[in-house]
This record gives sequence, C-alpha cells and structure tokens, in this order.
Amino acid sequence: MTSIDVRDLTKEYGTRRAVDHVTFGVRPGKVTGFLGPNGAGKSTTMRLVLGLDRPTSGTATIGGRPYAALTEPLRHVGALLDAQAAHGSRTGRDHLRALAASNRIPAARVDAVLEETGLASVARRRVKTYSLGMRQRLGIAGALLGDPEVVLLDEPSNGLDPEGIVWIRELLRRLATEGRTVLVSSHLMNETASFADHLVVLGRGRLLADTPMRDFIDARVQPHVRIRTTDPGALKNALARHGHDAVEHEDGHWTVAHARVDEIGTLLSTAGVPILELASAEGTLEEAYLDLTAAETEFTAQNQEA
Amino acid sequence: MAFTPVFHSEWIKIRTLRSEIAALASIPAVTALFSALASSDTGGDDFDPLFAVFFGVTFGQIAAIAFGTTAVSSEFQGGALRLSLAAVPHRGRWFAAKAAAIAVPVLAVGLVTGLVTLMVGKAVLGTKADGLDWAEQTRGVVGCAVYLTLMALFAAGLTALLRSGAATLGILIPFLLIVSFVIGDMSNNIADLLPDRAGQVALHETWDGAMGPWTGLAVTALWTALALAAGAWSVRRRDA
Repeated sequence: MTSIDVRDLTKEYGTRRAVDHVTFGVRPGKVTGFLGPNGAGKSTTMRLVLGLDRPTSGTATIGGRPYAALTEPLRHVGALLDAQAAHGSRTGRDHLRALAASNRIPAARVDAVLEETGLASVARRRVKTYSLGMRQRLGIAGALLGDPEVVLLDEPSNGLDPEGIVWIRELLRRLATEGRTVLVSSHLMNETASFADHLVVLGRGRLLADTPMRDFIDARVQPHVRIRTTDPGALKNALARHGHDAVEHEDGHWTVAHARVDEIGTLLSTAGVPILELASAEGTLEEAYLDLTAAETEFTAQNQEA
Repeated sequence: MAFTPVFHSEWIKIRTLRSEIAALASIPAVTALFSALASSDTGGDDFDPLFAVFFGVTFGQIAAIAFGTTAVSSEFQGGALRLSLAAVPHRGRWFAAKAAAIAVPVLAVGLVTGLVTLMVGKAVLGTKADGLDWAEQTRGVVGCAVYLTLMALFAAGLTALLRSGAATLGILIPFLLIVSFVIGDMSNNIADLLPDRAGQVALHETWDGAMGPWTGLAVTALWTALALAAGAWSVRRRDA
C-alpha cells in the first residue's frame, strides 16, 4: 500500500483558496502527471501531502497514513520541492550526507545516488558552483536517497539541458516500472506527454481531471486526417459529396476533422483524387489541455454572470 | 524517530559550513584578544580582577550569537527548512536536535575559551590577578562557557521565531554592545535582569546586586528557555 490519497483537501492563505476541495489518488506502477498553470495549487498540494503545510480541511495520506506518522520518512517517500534547498556553501555530497544521517540511511546510498544522477564528478564541489540543472539533479538525488516507494517531484525538468530531459524521462519510466508511485508536476505539456500514464489536472485550486492520459486526450481532441493533393478542387468535391468538410492550411495541406483515415483514403481513391500525403493525426496533450482550460474559463465566466 | 540520528544530521550540517566553523573559531580568538586589551588598562576604583580577565566575553559572545543565528537562519534560505522537516516531520524533536547541535560545540569551545582567556588575562594583569583563588578562576571558566552557550541558544531561538538571521543580529548586536551598557549605567535592579547582565555576574569576583553568579546564570537560562520555546512554537505551528 503505497498510494497517495488526497481527500477533500482545502488550503486557504488568508482569504485566498490555494487548494479547493480536491480529491484524487496516485497509484503505484504508473507515472502520474500533475498538470496546471502556475499558481494552480500543485506545489501547495505537494507540501500538504508532505505534512509541511497544515490543511484548512481534508486529508492527505500516503499508504493510508499521514506523512508525519511515518518513521524515517525518507525511506518511504522521496520528494523534490525546490532545487534551491541545498545550502550554497556546502558540497553536494555533504548536503546528501546530512539528509541521509537523519533517517539512518547508509552513507553508501549517498555515493550511489550521486552516481545515478550524474553528479559523482562534482560531488565535492560547493553547491553555489552548480548550474540550475546540476542543482535539480542534486534535488532528485535527495529524493532517491532512501530508495522510496513513493516519489514526488515538483517541476523536475526545470533548468535541465536536452540530455537531462531525456534522462529524467527515462528515470521516471523506470521508477514506475519498478512498481513505485510517481507524481510529477509540470506546466510543460509535451514534456508531461512523454512520460505520464495518468493525469491529475488542477486549475485555480480545483480538480479539473483525474484520468488516464490517453482517455484525457481522446475525450477532448477528435482525431483528424491530414491530406496534401495537387487538385484541391477535386478533393473538396469528393469530400463534400460524403458530407466531410475540408479545411485548407497555409502551407497547402488540408485537414478533415471527425474522420478516420481508412474511410477518407478509400473515398478519395475511388474519386480518383491525386494524393501526395495522407496521414491520421492523433490529438496531443497540449490540444486536450487547452480545450479543457477553455471550457473551464467559459464555465467560470458563466457562473460569475449568473 | 530516535533523537541521535537527527542530532547527527544537524551536527553534519553545522560542521560542513565554513561560516559556522569560522564563527566557532573566533569565539576564543575575540574573547582572549579583548580580554588582553582590557586587562592592560586597570585604572578605576571598581576594578574587578576576574571581570578584567573575562571582559572579552562581551565581544566573544557576538561570535557565539553569530554561530547560533547562522545555524538556524540557514534553514530559512531557499526552502531548506522544508527539506529538513520532510526528513524529520517530528518538528519539536528536530528543533531540539538543532539546539543540541548548537549547544554542544559552543560549550566545548566555551571551556577552551575560558581557559585560554584566563591564562592570557592573568599574564597581562600580572600581580593584580594574584587575589583570584582557584574557586573564582574555575567559576570564571565554567561561567564563561555556560554563558556563551546560553547566548548562542538565545540567538537560535530568536532566529527561529523571527525566521531571519539578519533580523536577529540586527536586534541582538546593538542591544548587547550599546543598549545594555547604557541601561546598565543607570544601574537599577531591572537592568540586572537582562540576559547578558545577569549571566555576566558569574564573571565577576565580587557583586553588589541581589543575584549571585549561579542565580545570574539561571536568569539568563530562563531568557534562553523562553527564546527557545518561542522558536519551537514558531517551527511547530507555522507552515514550513
């Protein structure tokens, strides 16, 4: 039992409600992407899960227990909240040694995670000499220190170079394959799409979605067909006869919404339309997310009018 | 969670910061230096040989306060406290370990400071220090160590309450170097209860107030306990 369970969680700062009656679960064996614009409440939710902030109401538990009830919590839960948490005057290795000592984690693990995060060669340099990407890796090393079953990472790809982004993607996939519970917040759609199986989406403190990523995209973005032809007139006629609407784009390709490639291909071939390119285009996470937030904005606007 | 691993962790944090080691090292250096300077000027009718020897503590305590303040204020930079409390969610225990990791080295360095200062001060005073007996000298050394430890902890508690090292030093340094002297010169009984003046009775051969050396240190300890309790309250109650 290593799930994260958030139940009716609310956090108010003064009159501002940062997290508003949010309920969701994060299950093991999957990477759960935690999406939302800046200020949506992602980081606050993570702090509440880690017992760092006191909820106004509701609960957050890990494996059924509040975080503060865990003995030697780093052995169960690893978290990266802020890459600036390591003191600039300490070496990366000393930073991890202090962290390890508090939870009686053997010193060998310190060297193991430094190796794993690619920091072994700079481990004895002071953190103030690190780039943002290296600090991010040090934060991730801290999260992995106790070999935890649950991993929470807040914007881990911040400041990473392209190589680092590939590395974090593979790391997250591997952690999930090993059966761990992985929650990763981000506001980058393409990045999240590359590693997430499941999505939890927040907007202005409220839960907007809690679904498998594929379902999330399929429900919001209709797949479409992309076509290039030398005879636009014939293409339009052929499609119109079958009740399809073709839209022309600036670079000369056409798209047909709400259609499947097998159907369009057959009908164009029958009509003898010359085809240069025919492809089925899947919806992207970005499109699905923008569709969701657009619907959300409309909903909020209507509510305010009423 | 057990206390010892948390203490160990906090001690690693302290000894891996150069500024902390520098502050610790300057406690005996500053104390002995100012004692040597003060002991060379022995005029005035209220001459107290023991306080002439330990006069440098007035300045050495600034180093002890800087040490205690930095150990806590480094937690309020860049979300370090969140990482610490994620590792040790038992906040009261965490703060106790932090305080212990401050107290132990200051007490040890304070004893060394007391011994070095006593030797330097006696050497500079020469025959004028002959009146000091063993008991008084031992009281001076132990009193110096205990006083410095209490002041470092006082600063640590205040820093946890204010969540800022700059604010703590901004209050304590002017207070100890200026305000306490001015109020002290007005010489009334209330001023004697200030944390620094009460504790420093232990560094005098003779005293004229109601408080003896150990009562004086107990009053300082009370101030320290108050500051630590306020700091612990702040760490436990507030969002990290």
